[in-house]
Amino acid sequence: MSFDLGGLTSNSDALVAMAVSGYVSSPSLRPGHYTHYPDGKGVILPGMFGVTYNASVGDRAFGWAGDHVEPGVSIAHPDEKSDMALHYLSCVGNEATVMSGLAKGAKGVVTGEHARLLVAFPDEVNELLNIGDHIQIEALGRGIALNEFPQIEFKKTSPTLLRSLGLTRAGNGALKVPVAIELPIEIMGSGAEINSEYVDQDLMSGDRALMADLGIDQMRLGDIIAIRHADHHFGRSYREGAISIAICIHGDSIMTGHGPGIMTLMTCHEGGIEFEIDPAANIANYFRIGAGK
Amino acid sequence: MTLNLNEADLVAVSVGGIIAHPSFPGLPAEPYRLAADGTPFLLPTWGGIVYNVSVGDRAFGWAADCIHPGVSLRGADDGRNRGLNVFACVGNTAVVMTGQAQGAKGVVTGKSGRFSEQVIVHFPKDVRRKMAAGDQIVVKSYGTGLAIEGHEEVNCKGLSPDLLKALPHRIDGGVLKFGVVATVPAFLVGAGAGLTSEGGSLHMQSTDRAALKEAGLDQLRLGDLVAIENTDSRYNHGYLRGAMSIGVVGQTDGPRAGYGPGITVIMTAPKGQLGAYTDSTANIASLLKLEA
Repeated sequence: MSFDLGGLTSNSDALVAMAVSGYVSSPSLRPGHYTHYPDGKGVILPGMFGVTYNASVGDRAFGWAGDHVEPGVSIAHPDEKSDMALHYLSCVGNEATVMSGLAKGAKGVVTGEHARLLVAFPDEVNELLNIGDHIQIEALGRGIALNEFPQIEFKKTSPTLLRSLGLTRAGNGALKVPVAIELPIEIMGSGAEINSEYVDQDLMSGDRALMADLGIDQMRLGDIIAIRHADHHFGRSYREGAISIAICIHGDSIMTGHGPGIMTLMTCHEGGIEFEIDPAANIANYFRIGAGK
Repeated sequence: MTLNLNEADLVAVSVGGIIAHPSFPGLPAEPYRLAADGTPFLLPTWGGIVYNVSVGDRAFGWAADCIHPGVSLRGADDGRNRGLNVFACVGNTAVVMTGQAQGAKGVVTGKSGRFSEQVIVHFPKDVRRKMAAGDQIVVKSYGTGLAIEGHEEVNCKGLSPDLLKALPHRIDGGVLKFGVVATVPAFLVGAGAGLTSEGGSLHMQSTDRAALKEAGLDQLRLGDLVAIENTDSRYNHGYLRGAMSIGVVGQTDGPRAGYGPGITVIMTAPKGQLGAYTDSTANIASLLKLEA
């Protein structure tokens, strides 16, 4: 794990670490509830909730016989308000600990936030997890900022992730971020209706030819990505010149207006962020977990 | 030219609701929403009886957040509200069943989506003065399953035969085209993407006023017909090059990110089978002869 902030400094000494927790979830389905392809064909596919044994960060985001595949372990809290604290306070890179069951004491890493919080544990830990096992997270990162870039807002970024992103200064003084893929703003879809502090926004993958043309179908779970003209400060606006940096947290979807989930990590109105393409920009490599182990 | 419709096969069914009271979150009394720039605001929002905003009025510039013109309806519970929201078609007749405006007739002009899910009905202003929140209204829903002979690839959604027959249209190289006031570019599609296209609405992005103006959207009026480029609304709304959706501006602009004016989508086709041309007069207030 790299601990280089590229000569930059953060306010990490001011951040408060607090425990939040959830429980290993179980898939739930509604009777007769099909998921539909754009042409209407209905199917039932796995992907959300529970322990996903064979999809991890670093693995492909496209091509699963699944929908919204959540890598690793999906946890939630049964009390809505406690669950919202789990959502709002947990950050990518936070440490998770199994508090009960056969895997008690095992350590994992928060990799993202969908309708449930997503945690990566080693495969041997996944084998031991029971539905309902208690997972506690040392939440740390809300309020994080770079002292040299007060105009850049961070979301769900732990100090560990901040140090791992390979941040440097660009020649023009902007913050330079390595990203695996750039997404065009016109394909940003489901999630536009909710605020940008809660979960993710799907890219719309329904134009399959476009996905192939732009190489977006090569996206991996855990990839760091960039979107131009996306202002993610308070919700998700089109704003010319803005840039948002995000992370791919779940897999592709067959549903119109859906696709891999893109969760905001940084946003800036104008001029503060630049990015460069680096296919290795993925938290599996940064944290040496999942496919990057 | 006249379009041949399967009108005779459509089933007319009653759906109903009550006039929805406006609502805000309870204690600890944090009534503010955040504008796209983070400014907290407290303004009138959707629901209720709106006395001074009607279909045909401007969609921008109100001191409000996504106002529904006229009257907003909600079903008795989630299931029945869904029935109301899906089956009510733009152009359907609504009848007041209880209260001091009993017997008055109105017209469905739009629907709102996730987090509000109401049906928007136009009534003349003097009728609105007699109404109260809680009054029961029945909509004679008629239009679900509507198809156009020879243009079966055009999917109709929440569209009454009455409105379809009134829409300006022409056939150009075999493609059915409708007159619209403006076209929303795909990059300005906001809240509603990925959500159901059976009921609800798709909002345009309005944070970047220069981009909005450049796209010719900043002067839109409630009730205007608009096209949405590269958008497939057959099963949810989503991006697809060559697809097009056409809808009616149903509710006003608001300050929140992603929540410019909402569009009630009434038609869609995936691959160039539906087109649009500019007609600055294409507004349902005149097309449906709504009484002021």
